[in-house]
Amino acid sequence: MIHRYKLGGLFIVLDVYSGSVHVVDEVAYEIIGLYEDHSREEIVSQIMAQFGSREDVTLAEVEECIDQVGELKEMGKLFAPDTFKPMAGELKQRTSGVVKALCLHVAHTCNLNCSYCFASQGKYHGDRAVMSFEVGKQALDFLIEHSGSRRNLEVDFFGGEPLMNFDVVKQLVAYARSREKECNKNFRFTLTTNGMLIDDDVIDFANRECSNVVLSLDGRKEIHDRFRVDYAGRGSWEQIVPKFQKLVEARGGKEYYMRGTFTHANPDFLKDIEVMLDLGFDQLSMEPVVCAPGDPSELTQEDLPIVMEQYEKLAELMLKRHKEGRPFTFYHYMIDLTGGPCIYKRISGCGSGTEYMAVTPWGDLYPCHQFVGEEKFRLGDVWQGVTNPDIQDEFAKCNVYAHPECGDCWAKLYCSGGCAANAYHSTGSVTGVYKYGCELFRKRMECAIMLEAAKLAEDE
Amino acid sequence: MKHIKTLETRNLCESAKNGGCGECQTSCQSACKTSCGIANQKCESKKESK
Repeated sequence: MIHRYKLGGLFIVLDVYSGSVHVVDEVAYEIIGLYEDHSREEIVSQIMAQFGSREDVTLAEVEECIDQVGELKEMGKLFAPDTFKPMAGELKQRTSGVVKALCLHVAHTCNLNCSYCFASQGKYHGDRAVMSFEVGKQALDFLIEHSGSRRNLEVDFFGGEPLMNFDVVKQLVAYARSREKECNKNFRFTLTTNGMLIDDDVIDFANRECSNVVLSLDGRKEIHDRFRVDYAGRGSWEQIVPKFQKLVEARGGKEYYMRGTFTHANPDFLKDIEVMLDLGFDQLSMEPVVCAPGDPSELTQEDLPIVMEQYEKLAELMLKRHKEGRPFTFYHYMIDLTGGPCIYKRISGCGSGTEYMAVTPWGDLYPCHQFVGEEKFRLGDVWQGVTNPDIQDEFAKCNVYAHPECGDCWAKLYCSGGCAANAYHSTGSVTGVYKYGCELFRKRMECAIMLEAAKLAEDE
Repeated sequence: MKHIKTLETRNLCESAKNGGCGECQTSCQSACKTSCGIANQKCESKKESK
């Protein structure tokens, strides 16, 4: 399967099953489009009819180009067959029973009252609560015990607002560090925060202990303050921006994401990215809102063309800043063509419910943070482990080939079937697909690959 | 004239032989949290020639 597209002045051909990326000229673009369904004579005839009036397109050139396409097919870099489908289940089984990442919900409470919050203001449709050290310690023991030979273990402090339970966060990190050597594990901690409680102590801790911090900022003050308000209805932008700037400056280049959410209120989110850049941030992420159908913040069909255009303009801005020596990163455009994920990862996806689980303040296990509060998805708890194997099995079998609608999608080995939670919430099944999200994802991949190709051309 | 420029990419078929060490970051863990993909994950295995 191939995917051809034109973007940023480039003609790009992706070969899905080999992972190859080809930047081609217009003639080759058309020849590749005809190659599998037409005879050589038909291709020559059609191409000469289309381009024959151009001085640079001769019969010999067209013949040579057809030969090049044939050579790439021989090399397995064009029209490569799908050899992965039969091994899809087996590849995912390789990690059966191994847990390597936990999202610790250390606080099901929040000091902001954002109406668009997928976690219902941090409560996940339940009671307010904070995680005790004992529960968190048991979660870490559960992780170590079930991590098999995995050395890198990930723990995200999440909420609600995790800094509302900062003392426990610090104690848990100290406990995990105390066990790293004896267990031969390397803990990678991350913190996702709204910034309200950031102070010097938090900055010192986050920069010393956290491999990544995710800082929630929606961009423009009026956009941010529309949703991200305290319980008195006051916007949080003025309070958090100086704190984020101080944290990032002290971070000294260590990884962070300035993470925004765009909604129906700001499908023109590039303006928000520009504000983030003006504030001095250069590691950015901007996510489409996840909310219940009918919520006022929900992205609409009318928003879709605007969002698509924004993604293209974002790629243009990134290329411009790259040329100017002022680059910035955007989470969804970070694609490493040579050092990216193996086919196992591309088939298996995010690992929710198998190698990745969320832990509630009470120690209950869920397939991921977005399933917390959905009682039927409760997997078990950190003391007894997984006691609902049927649900875990559903996630274990959820590889990219388990989604019937992904069958003919060119992007399936880039998205791996997408987010199980998004699929469940939009279709009622974890093997469904969230079609709106698919459209955005495909556009992001087209932009990301175009950007890589353009940067390579520029650097040459 | 060269009509096609092939960028250097990871050989997915080759990665089927040695991939799956599972050491790479869980896709959603520390950034997006709401719109998962795997394309931007980095491989952590040093064993395989890519």
